[in-house]
Amino acid sequence: MEVATSILSFAFLAQVLRLTTPFYLGASAATYSERGGVINISIEGFMNLSAFSFAAFTIGTGSLVAGLILSIIVNLIFSFLFSLFTVKLKIDQIVTGVGFNLLIAGITKFLLVLIFKSSSNTDRIEGLPEMTLFKSIPFLDTIFSDYISIFCFALIFISSFIFFKTKFGLRLRSVGENPWAADSLGVEVRKYKMYGVMISGFLSALAGIWLASNQNSYSEGMIAGRGYIALAAMIIGKWNPVNVFFACLLFSAFEALEIALQISGTNVPSQLIQMLPYVITILVLIGFIGKTRPPAADGKAF
Amino acid sequence: MKKSRQNVISISASLLVTMLIVTALLVSIGKNPIAIYGTVLTEVFTSGYGIGQTLFKATPLIICGCGLAICFHASLFNIGAEGQLNAGSFVTAIAVIKLEALPAPLAIVVSIIAGFLVSGVFGLIPAYIKIKKDVSEVITTIMFNFIIIALINFFLVDLFAVKATMHTEKIPDGYMLFRFSDFIPFFQGSALNASFVIALMTAAVTYFFIYKTTYGYKLRAAGFNEVASKYIGIRVNKVILISFFIGAGITSLAGMNYIFGYKGFYEAGFSNNIGFTAIAVTLLAKNNPIGIIFSSILFAILDYGGLSVNQEVPKEIMLVVQGIIILAILSTDKIVSAYFARAARDRFV
Repeated sequence: MEVATSILSFAFLAQVLRLTTPFYLGASAATYSERGGVINISIEGFMNLSAFSFAAFTIGTGSLVAGLILSIIVNLIFSFLFSLFTVKLKIDQIVTGVGFNLLIAGITKFLLVLIFKSSSNTDRIEGLPEMTLFKSIPFLDTIFSDYISIFCFALIFISSFIFFKTKFGLRLRSVGENPWAADSLGVEVRKYKMYGVMISGFLSALAGIWLASNQNSYSEGMIAGRGYIALAAMIIGKWNPVNVFFACLLFSAFEALEIALQISGTNVPSQLIQMLPYVITILVLIGFIGKTRPPAADGKAF
Repeated sequence: MKKSRQNVISISASLLVTMLIVTALLVSIGKNPIAIYGTVLTEVFTSGYGIGQTLFKATPLIICGCGLAICFHASLFNIGAEGQLNAGSFVTAIAVIKLEALPAPLAIVVSIIAGFLVSGVFGLIPAYIKIKKDVSEVITTIMFNFIIIALINFFLVDLFAVKATMHTEKIPDGYMLFRFSDFIPFFQGSALNASFVIALMTAAVTYFFIYKTTYGYKLRAAGFNEVASKYIGIRVNKVILISFFIGAGITSLAGMNYIFGYKGFYEAGFSNNIGFTAIAVTLLAKNNPIGIIFSSILFAILDYGGLSVNQEVPKEIMLVVQGIIILAILSTDKIVSAYFARAARDRFV
C-alpha cells in the first residue's frame, strides 16, 4: 500500500523523468549511429569510458570543466577509432562492438587500479553544478536538476529537427537506408557514417558523465547494462527521437520502481524487478508493438 | 592453402602489433617491459604449477569457444554465452545434489545433460525469435544474459545458496574429477583436472562435427550463403536452430572445470566473463576448434601471467592486452586479405 502511494505521486514521476537522462542520451547515441547505418553495441563501453575519464580527469586537474571536456575528447577519439574499424576498414560492426566493449572494460579496470589503487571506485568528485533556475519549484527542481538533463530533454526536439528537417539529417538517413543511392547523388557516404558514429560517442559521453556526476565518483560496473537498455529503447522507439524517449521513460520507470521498493522494504525480490526491463524488451520485440524496421542498410558495410 | 597462409600472416601481424602497443604502454607508465615479459614467461613456463594453472584457466575457454564456433559458423552472433553457460552450470550443480540417491556416475551424467538442455534452450529461444520475428539475435542474446543472471541470483538467494554465501552446497567428494597432480607430481598444487581432457575432446568432436559431417557442411554452407543453401535444398532455419541449441548447450560444459574439478559448487560470478572472453578466443582462431585450443591457451597465459606480474603492474593490464589482441586481429585480417586480393588481381592484369 505504501508503495502504491509512493508511486502515485509527483515525486515518483519526477524521479522517473530524472532517471531518464542516461537512458535517453545513450539511446540517442545509438540512434545517430544506426540512422547512418552503423550498429554500435559499444554504447555501454563508451558510457563506461566517459564515466571513468570524467572522474579521473576531474580529480587529476581539479576542475570539473576540464574533466568534462577531456572526457568528451576521449570518447570522440574512441568513437573515431570505432568508425575507422567499421566504416573505413569495413570490419563487422557487432564484432568491433564486442571488441571495444572488452578493451574499454579492460582499460577502465586497469587504470582504476593503477591510478586510484582500488579495484572498485575512484575518489570522490564534486559532481556537476546544480541548476538554480528551478530551485524553488517543487516538481521541476528534480527533473531539471543539472545542465545535462536539460540538454537531454531538449535533445528530443533537437534530434527530431536534425533528422527530419535538415540537410544533414536527410543525408545521414539516406546513408543508413541506401548508401548506394546516396553515393550516386554525390553524398559522401563514409563521411556521414563517421559523423553518425562520432555524435554517438559524444552523446554516450554525456550519459556516462551524468552517471558519474550523480554518484559523485566512478565505480566499477556502475553503468550496469544501461548502454544495452539504451539499444533496446532505440529499437522499441523505432529509431524515432520522440518514440525513443517514451521507451526510455518505460525503463526509467522500472528503475524508479526498484528504488521505491527497496526503500519501502517490501519483500518483492529485487532480482526479479531488475530482470523486468530485459524481459519486457524481448516481449516487445517479439511483437507487442508491431514490426520494428531498422534503417534498411543498418549494419551493412559500404 | 593460400587462405591458411593469409591466416598465419594476419594472426602473427596482429600479435606483433599487440606486442608493440603493450610495450609502448608499459614504457609510458614507467615500467620495464622486458622485465615484465620475462616474469610472465618464467612464471608460466618454468614450473609445473605455472603450466598447470595456465591449462586450468584455458579449459573453460576452449569449451565455451567450441560452442560459440558452432553458432558463428551459421553466421549468427551469439553474445549470450555468458548467460547460457551460467544457466547450464547452475542447473548441473543443483541437479547433482538433488540426484544424490542415484549411483554417482548416473547422477553426474544426468545432471550434465540437464545443464546442457537448459543452456541449449536459452540458445534456442533467440534463434527462434530471429527466424520467426526477424529480431536480431544480438539484442536478444544480450537481454538474456541479464535475465539469466538475475534469475540465478534470485534462485540462489531464495532457495539454493548455503546461508550467508552466494554458492550452492558442495557436491560429494566422490563426484569430483581427478586432478593431474594426483598422478603427475610435476603439476603439484595446480587445479588442472580432467576437465582439460574433456575440453580437448570437445574441441576434437566439434572440429569433426563442423568439417567432417554432412550436418557441419550444411551449417557452413548456410552461414556462407543463405540463399544458395536454400536453393540446393538445405533447410537453413532448421540448421540455425539446431546449431544454436548445440552451441549454447556446449557452453554449459564450461562450468565443469569449476564445479567438478575445482570448487565443487556453483558460485555467483564464477564465470568471470568467460562467455565474452571466449568470443575473442573464437574470433582469433577463425572459428576453428583446433585453433581455439591454442588461442585459449594464449589468453590463459595472459590471465595467469597477469597474476604473476601483479606486484609490478596491476594484473588488469592483461584485460587491456586481450582487448587489443581482438581489435588487432580484426584489422590485420582485413588489411592482409585486401592486400592478397590486390596482389591476385595484379597478376591477371
